[in-house]
Amino acid sequence: MALLVCSAPVEAQLLPLARVLELSAGGAGAVGAAGEARGCRDVAGCDSRREQGARLILAAAESAPGESAGDAGGALSKLRSLTRGNEIEDQFLPLDKAFKVEVKVKDAQTLVAEFTPADTYYLYRDRIRFAVPKESDISIARVSIPPGEMKSDPNFGDTEVFHKPFQAVITLDRAQSRDALRLLVEARYQGCSEKGLCYPPAKRSFDLTLAAWQPPAALASDLSSPKANASAPTIATSRSEVAGTTAGSGSDALPGDKASAQNETSKVAGLLKSGSFWVVVVSFFGAGLLLSFTPCVLPMVPILSGIIVGQGHRVTKRQAFTLSLAYVVGMAITYTLAGIGAGLSGTLLSNALQNPWVLGVFAALFVVLSLSMFGFYELQLPSAFQSKLSDTSNKVKGGTFWGVFIMGVLSALIVGPCVAAPLAGALLYINQTRNAVLGGTALFALALGMGIPLLAVGLSAGTLLPKAGAWMQTIKNLFGVMLLGLAIWIISPVIPSSVHMLLWATLLIVSAIYLHAIDPLPHNASGFHKLWKGVGVIALLLGVALLAGALSGGRDILQPLAGLRGAGAAPVDLSGQPKFERVHSLAELDQRVAQARGRAVMLDFYADWCVSCKEMERFTFADPQVQARMSRMLLLQADVTANAEQDRELLQRFGLFGPPGILFFGPDGQEVERVRVIGFQPAEKFVGALDAVLGSS
Amino acid sequence: MRLGGRAAAVAAGPTAVGLMGARLPDVDGRTQAFQQWRGKVLVVNFWATWCVPCREEIPAFIKVQNRWGGQGLQIVGVAIDENDKVRPYAAQLKINYPILVGGLDGIDLARQAGNRLGGLPFTVIFDRRGNPVHSQLGGAMTQEKLEQFIRPLL
Repeated sequence: MALLVCSAPVEAQLLPLARVLELSAGGAGAVGAAGEARGCRDVAGCDSRREQGARLILAAAESAPGESAGDAGGALSKLRSLTRGNEIEDQFLPLDKAFKVEVKVKDAQTLVAEFTPADTYYLYRDRIRFAVPKESDISIARVSIPPGEMKSDPNFGDTEVFHKPFQAVITLDRAQSRDALRLLVEARYQGCSEKGLCYPPAKRSFDLTLAAWQPPAALASDLSSPKANASAPTIATSRSEVAGTTAGSGSDALPGDKASAQNETSKVAGLLKSGSFWVVVVSFFGAGLLLSFTPCVLPMVPILSGIIVGQGHRVTKRQAFTLSLAYVVGMAITYTLAGIGAGLSGTLLSNALQNPWVLGVFAALFVVLSLSMFGFYELQLPSAFQSKLSDTSNKVKGGTFWGVFIMGVLSALIVGPCVAAPLAGALLYINQTRNAVLGGTALFALALGMGIPLLAVGLSAGTLLPKAGAWMQTIKNLFGVMLLGLAIWIISPVIPSSVHMLLWATLLIVSAIYLHAIDPLPHNASGFHKLWKGVGVIALLLGVALLAGALSGGRDILQPLAGLRGAGAAPVDLSGQPKFERVHSLAELDQRVAQARGRAVMLDFYADWCVSCKEMERFTFADPQVQARMSRMLLLQADVTANAEQDRELLQRFGLFGPPGILFFGPDGQEVERVRVIGFQPAEKFVGALDAVLGSS
Repeated sequence: MRLGGRAAAVAAGPTAVGLMGARLPDVDGRTQAFQQWRGKVLVVNFWATWCVPCREEIPAFIKVQNRWGGQGLQIVGVAIDENDKVRPYAAQLKINYPILVGGLDGIDLARQAGNRLGGLPFTVIFDRRGNPVHSQLGGAMTQEKLEQFIRPLL
């Protein structure tokens, strides 16, 4: 086409050029797109003959005065002698040089588009689009573009742009078409030069060959097995054979090892994407059931029990169950609404929950509740309100019912950040697909699953209650202490660690005194009595250790006396721990990753309040096997405790909703997206992830 | 014929052919012919809402139209854009001259007017007889520069 344009007779050149380049606004089809894209490129390809083209145009310009609008041909044919140059085009690059674009196949369902703006040129983030022909069986499931820089404009507000090369990841929906095939992918983009020139919208088409695709569900069984890594190459080989015979290409389309190291969040998002509605809902219910055994959900048990126990003698088994159900439904609804809201707006659910005021209010609430457990007051709604409601309700007292429901709502908010991984997966899905119905239903099922043990607690509490007398008071006291502990835990992100330790020390020591830890046991003490004394002594010693630790400058609640260790011991211990370099902003991260060329990079998102981050640090990073592998990587850590603007940018770049999250970059500086570690992983499993990164590099 | 560091002038292209004969819809969807402005000094500015350097120039055009409109100057904007973006933007800035919505076809007009890159912003100035006398590709059109070109024509 280029040749045609460039060598066309002078008279004919201008109009065909325009026609070749015709940017039909409605021409969204791939064929039109391809034509246009080539048109753009080919004009640039005529660079060597530019002078000739310029002459033509300029010649026509000189002819134009006096000519009537109609006889363009005559005007053009007259003129060949030219004087003036075309500095403008020397000053600005042609479109294809200003923005280099390449779309490549990453694997059978993933494409990567590489955009490279020339120096002082930039692309608009929100003007980047991809399309595949409508008639093909493949559609684009989602496109993930990293956040750009903000370019501010006094009249128009901020615009997100890219000055530097970046990659967009295109995930294809291959549910309709799993065989190897060719695909025409169209990329649309728009950009400008900093020197004050914008280019018209550009389109380019790429003819790609995709390998056969197998749904990830088929590989999911490999995930939990430690042999997954070993079996991956086999899968990969057979896959490439399929690709080789049917499509004659696709060596880079090997999702085999993808499955082996696929992370939890993407697994969840993948499940949502691929599974049928009820499979998804049931899976989330199961996940919720598992989650209920994590430490994060357990604090809800005392809240609920506290409320039920607080009802005293009146509670029957059935009432206890109904109360528990109200609590669980409250929790589930909150998850659903917050999840949908957070997903649709793309904001971090736990953001608001890291606000000191919000946390403080919750902590105060738990302290108040605990006071009720200690018998300072009877936990009840105002009697007028209560009796009014109990008139209308039948068995369960209405006031209590709603109180419990609201408690469920509140406690869901508190533990929300704890169950980050599956929640983030679901949120990610909602955020990317805007399928709020499925996402919301899944979250509701998740919360119901989490609530099952609570229902069991409700039932058992109801069963146990009528029999116990003095023992009841002990249970209530225990719950009171747990509620106070919960209050401390809630505000721990926003208080200094020394204060945190002091609070725990106080709680433990005072509890110990109540348990008669330092009172002598009477001669005829019962076994039960001795047991409580033992517990009391342990609490006392722990409390003293924390107190001593806090006062001696210890800052680690899990090692309160670390500060008292001999000076010789500390450095030895530290040398074993992997050393992370802190990164504070996207720019810093990019710089460090770029400098690490040749080495894999591990980026750890950390926050002081992130429990599983600390567990990772303490249990996984301390493992010699893990350390051996980590020593071969550049270790970066982003502390997002402050949740500042820059922290959020970092999180957003990687589609994370908050820590924990460990990402890896290959030696090429690109994220190894198939390996992401979200949440705690024991050393054995984490070694597998590290091997996957090191192996691929 | 360079004009400052950020942008340079090109000799005006065969605009009489493409542009003066063209018709484009305005923001209200009514078709407008460029012929209606023959007899005036016409400044045609190709722009788009997404084009930052274009947006930077628009206040200058508004001022010039204000000051010289009574003496036979007519500025016309051609937006290489979608009308649902153009219309609110024009209203927001209180643009006091006609805006035609060229969509992507508008780029062809600009190309025929000598803008081979198809870049924006692009401004062409016509004399009262409809002859192109100057064009500029790239931003940094200021009120002073614009007046420098139009004053001799008025």
